Amino acid sequence: MRADDAGDARGLPPPAAVLLAAGAASLVAGVWGGLARAGVAGGVPVGTWPGAHGPLMVCGVLGTVIAVERAVALGRAWGWAVPALAAASALALVAGAPPPWPAALATAAAVGLVAMHVVWWRRAPSAFLSVMALGAGAWAGGNALWLAGGAFPDVVPWWMAFLVLTIAGERLELGRVLGGGGDRAMLAAAALVALALAVASADRDAGVRVLGAAFLALAAWMVRYDVARRTVRQRGLARYVAVCLLGGQTWLAVGGTLMVAAGGVVDGPLYDALVHAVLVGFVFSMVFGHAPIIGPAVLDVPVAYHPALYAPLALLHGALALRVAGDVGGAPSLRAWGSVGNAVALALFASVLAGATLLDRRRGVAGR
Amino acid sequence: MTPPRAADLARALAGVVDPEVGLDIVTLGLVYHLDVDADGAATVRLTMTTPACPLSRVIQRQVGAALQGVPGLSRGTVELVWEPAWSPAMVDPAVRAATCADRPPGRAAALGARLWRRLRGPASDAR
Repeated sequence: MRADDAGDARGLPPPAAVLLAAGAASLVAGVWGGLARAGVAGGVPVGTWPGAHGPLMVCGVLGTVIAVERAVALGRAWGWAVPALAAASALALVAGAPPPWPAALATAAAVGLVAMHVVWWRRAPSAFLSVMALGAGAWAGGNALWLAGGAFPDVVPWWMAFLVLTIAGERLELGRVLGGGGDRAMLAAAALVALALAVASADRDAGVRVLGAAFLALAAWMVRYDVARRTVRQRGLARYVAVCLLGGQTWLAVGGTLMVAAGGVVDGPLYDALVHAVLVGFVFSMVFGHAPIIGPAVLDVPVAYHPALYAPLALLHGALALRVAGDVGGAPSLRAWGSVGNAVALALFASVLAGATLLDRRRGVAGR
Repeated sequence: MTPPRAADLARALAGVVDPEVGLDIVTLGLVYHLDVDADGAATVRLTMTTPACPLSRVIQRQVGAALQGVPGLSRGTVELVWEPAWSPAMVDPAVRAATCADRPPGRAAALGARLWRRLRGPASDAR
């Protein structure tokens, strides 16, 4: 089909582009801080960024991007306040604003995200929406804990729950459309996540282990019910997205296993391994699969797919495997190389996606 | 020129694919209403699988473009509605049958069910 924009309301929602740019800036600062933390920033001054790596990546990058997607779906002016607050939180972190500000802005953003889910729930309640709403609630809980002065290792389980449940809810929705099923199993696993967070508030070690078990249950759900097993046999974009999910679910299982085994570690190589198995291996693999569809959609340009997207995906997984092997096997240089590989994978992904979008536009072809 | 029939419109809309699902909007049952009046003005009423879907703008734009490709249309109006809420039962039954909704449980699930029955058996006898 030809993309014929003549006479069409071309109005790009201007906040989306600005906010996604803020998310991208946050990504650069967050990754830079992460590299400095891994000891590979090459002496470039990075200010407070290493300490802000976690909140920059979770609230500044993923929180902003997820909220932009939701604001587009909501289609109301107030929805744009949610990604704006998340982006403002990241800017406050980058600028080195005093402690309450970044956390307060991020908490306000998360409360707004919860409010969006309430609006949708009243329009059409469903199982997937309750899983995503629980995810938004976990973000609000984690950010409130951060605001109250909680240490990052205590906040991270909440942030993991936010991202994992948001993605799991999306997969349940996709399965609902394609006849995948598994509603009750997913709700049970999501309830286990909520229980884990409650337990973690009293006993961090036990809570992290239960959360690991819940992530294992969600990974098992994906093996059993996710439509990726079927769509991986299709071609083009559908297969690529399925490969992202299949790779991601493997890392969710690895992360869950490490969490069950390691429990309450708060720093060191095992902590690095379990946090990044989930947040890079699962979450960013899913971002790689989701962005070619949703990114162009929120910017009002056609879907951009190019087989070259497999290159950054392979690098993401390969570098993470190196990193986790270095962590678990006691080889810090592997960990450093893995971190660099992950950063390169992100930059490569952004370049390939931008290139594919421009190519698509020049050809004037919509769809895949 | 005689105005096109609703079936011509449906054929055009079948080219609009939901990029996330990989199926077209007619097969998915997202098109609730289609008509063309005597002046060749078309009205299309469609929904999305969920109000939380950010793809509605893109899909509406593609529907507009598809209508422009139908010869004999003077005007096209695309409305997004949420009543009634979409449900999986609205997907083309032939496509539904081909998906895994009705597939038999996998081997692991069958083994689990057998174990569960065995574990539960004595307990229910005791009651």
